[in-house]
Amino acid sequence: MRVEKCYFCSTNVYPGHGSAFVRNDAKVFRFCTSKCHKNFKMKRNPRKVRWTKAFRKAAGKEMTIDSTIDFEKRRNVPVRYDRELVQTTIKAMKRIAEIKAKREKAFFRNRMASSRAKQIAHRKKRLEAAKGSFKLREPVTKTAAAPEKIKVSVKSSKSALIPGEGRSMGMDID
Amino acid sequence: MGRLRRSRAHHARRDVHRASRTRARVKDLDQIQLIDLDPKNRAALEAQPLDYEKPGLAQHYCVECAKYYETDHALNSHWRSKVHKRRLKDLKQPAYTIEEAERAAGLGREGKRPTTTTVVAAAVSEMEVIADT
Repeated sequence: MRVEKCYFCSTNVYPGHGSAFVRNDAKVFRFCTSKCHKNFKMKRNPRKVRWTKAFRKAAGKEMTIDSTIDFEKRRNVPVRYDRELVQTTIKAMKRIAEIKAKREKAFFRNRMASSRAKQIAHRKKRLEAAKGSFKLREPVTKTAAAPEKIKVSVKSSKSALIPGEGRSMGMDID
Repeated sequence: MGRLRRSRAHHARRDVHRASRTRARVKDLDQIQLIDLDPKNRAALEAQPLDYEKPGLAQHYCVECAKYYETDHALNSHWRSKVHKRRLKDLKQPAYTIEEAERAAGLGREGKRPTTTTVVAAAVSEMEVIADT
């Protein structure tokens, strides 16, 4: 059993999931979802699509150079089962995951620290630009008195319509 | 009176679904960059034998865009076009491959080897100079 990686977004593709495209030069492209497959068919470059792992790595949003990343590898040589080896490997995997999480957290904090200063500077710049775009004025005070109210008698107008003589224009049938 | 046509009323219409059929598939960027732009392959592609199935008997082929043209004049005007120049720009960057997708996921390979060649980028820039003149 092998957990493959999606060609487009680089997530895990477990057996029985996703789809694969085999190009006429026998290269197998695996896709986790139809979304990734469609994007591939549109010939988009994953490095330029913001939600992919490739973009995040290329844009420096995630750790790329680290010793914890180098452990996971595609090894095409099978290893004979060894109880001891499995135990130590599992122990190591847990420890490495711990270290990796810690380093990723530190990386994120470091990245955010620099971006926060940038954001503050950007906001300040925008505020300065906004200040020059409009002028503040004194509010205009209303001095004129309210208009007088005049009473006008309402004349009862005669309707041209003939009132129904006890009969209404209803829907009921006689 | 029937319903008046509302869709496909403009010039810039394109059928994405038809264009993305497997039988209408065109070469990918990595195929062009890593195989076709190799000087040896390039020479073979540019001097193809007469093929009655291909447009223009396969005599006017743009290697970068993987496209046949009917006449030499058409090919020359294509080289001056925006489409071709955009393609040259795309080919300057190393192509995205399966290996890169796996590397982005944190999955390495044993016995590392360079996936993209810098030689190709140099060849593209050389072609650009030719296209400009």
